[in-house]
Amino acid sequence: MIYIIDHQDSFTHNVVHQFENFDEVFCTNFNKINKKKLKEAEVIVFSPGPGAPKDYPISSKIYKKYKGKKKIIGICLGFQQILHCENGKIIEQKKIYHGFQSKIKVISKNSLFKKNSQFTVGRYHSLKLKEPFAAKNFEITMRCDISNTAMTIENNKEKIYGFQFHPESFLTENGNLLIKKILSA
Amino acid sequence: MTKINYLRKISESEKPFIIYKSDKGFDLYTDFSKKIILTNNNIQNFINKATQFKSKRKETDLFIGFFGYEVLNDLIGIKIKKQKSLKFPKGIFYKPETKIKLQNKLDYKNLELINSKKSFKISMNKASYKIIFDKFKKKIKSGETYQIKICTKYSNKSEIDALDFFCRLVKTNMAPEAFMIKDKDYSIISCSPENLITKKNDLITTKPIAGTLKKNKSLNKIKALAFFRKNLKETKEHNMIVDMERSDLSKICKPGSVKILKKKIVEEYKDLYHYVSLIGGQLKNKVTSLDIIKAMMPGGSVIGCPKISTLNLLNKQEKKSRNIYTGSFGYLKFNGDMRFNIIIRSILNFNGKSEISVASGVVIDSNAGHEFNENYIKAKSLMDLYK
Repeated sequence: MIYIIDHQDSFTHNVVHQFENFDEVFCTNFNKINKKKLKEAEVIVFSPGPGAPKDYPISSKIYKKYKGKKKIIGICLGFQQILHCENGKIIEQKKIYHGFQSKIKVISKNSLFKKNSQFTVGRYHSLKLKEPFAAKNFEITMRCDISNTAMTIENNKEKIYGFQFHPESFLTENGNLLIKKILSA
Repeated sequence: MTKINYLRKISESEKPFIIYKSDKGFDLYTDFSKKIILTNNNIQNFINKATQFKSKRKETDLFIGFFGYEVLNDLIGIKIKKQKSLKFPKGIFYKPETKIKLQNKLDYKNLELINSKKSFKISMNKASYKIIFDKFKKKIKSGETYQIKICTKYSNKSEIDALDFFCRLVKTNMAPEAFMIKDKDYSIISCSPENLITKKNDLITTKPIAGTLKKNKSLNKIKALAFFRKNLKETKEHNMIVDMERSDLSKICKPGSVKILKKKIVEEYKDLYHYVSLIGGQLKNKVTSLDIIKAMMPGGSVIGCPKISTLNLLNKQEKKSRNIYTGSFGYLKFNGDMRFNIIIRSILNFNGKSEISVASGVVIDSNAGHEFNENYIKAKSLMDLYK
């Protein structure tokens, strides 16, 4: 079962439907966590949402508790939430991407995805990761072709994955494929 | 009796009535046997009871009316602090006993308009609009909202003949979701173009509009489409609304069933082109009418995105009640089918006062002066009716 933590976003249910392609999904608001279900879940997904990771201390707590014990996936704010917990700095960017379609590229040979392959993805983010960023077992594996902004992180050892873009958006091509590969990793 | 005479007769009878755009013309509903005034307390009960009947027998087996903005916020758990208001009801529904089909051309005139030439006052000037605008831009930069719609109001003192206004309005601004309500103590006239919910059996669709272009001689449908596609701001706004509506539908639809049926097409109206998408899905088995209304309302395209945090930002900012504006008008059939629009491009006339609300979007690359003027243009076609 996949537990999706909703940060009250207007895209969360697209995420729910996307993951329901692969497994049973349980979704609640971030401040109405069902602890029993969360414990049972094999995968935890941090949804997109407004604001910044520091606004969601409950989600940070959950991340720290289950890191290394369950597969964790973060999308947009969820991606930033993971980075925030790994002492990454999340900052405002000069150019803002809301409803924006970008080309991104796999830049690492350690990624689940083939190096140099390209994806067309939908983006909705005001904030981004401040670089350089380093955390044990984490690697930035995809970047925006144009701005070079970090677009995915992978920690294949502890099974932690994050997308700055939205795999569930209609602007993302092959979004289901991305999720499928990460769920079966 | 011809239909033309019918309009004059119903107007003279002073009976309450409603007119709503249909596929081929208009439907007129009257002879109301029930009138339900909605409050935060009775709305859930009303929706549950309205659609508990298994089958619909007559064409009048429905409740028709509107949900105001505030009651829809309350329904999804968002409280609005005390605002200045007209003390206008939060929503009203009627049970009609008579339905009459009318043609597209509505012939009714009343040249003796009473007291409708008072000039309009605007709720905020350009300078105060810009202050709010800049404040929201900061909220976009910090990620609290991705898109937000600031509402401005134009109001004057006037008594109007709602039917006369409506007939003139649809002559110049025919819209697929146009409607009017005439009751003893108030009237509403709207040329809304936007359908929020069409639900028949287990199929549901929504048709958001994001992007409007005024017609001119050098434009045609193909050029309008090229304009929208090239315009990055319009494209981004539209994308956001499409993903938001997909998500709202996904709350109540079967996994995998939510589809974009028409993706970013141009629809042509008398004076404008709209950039439109049609999104649909198949409802989950045990979804109730209340679930559907809570998932879809208030309609996202006139609020901003993400819905909850943006509503909270708006409600903190707006000092005057939106009343009907960005609420929904439509009907709930006894068998659970429904059709609702988003109330925009509307006039509310109540207690000798007319109110026109308009809004336009703040996204990261919009400009305060431009959006302020855009609001004025939207209001102008309605204010012109008072001349």
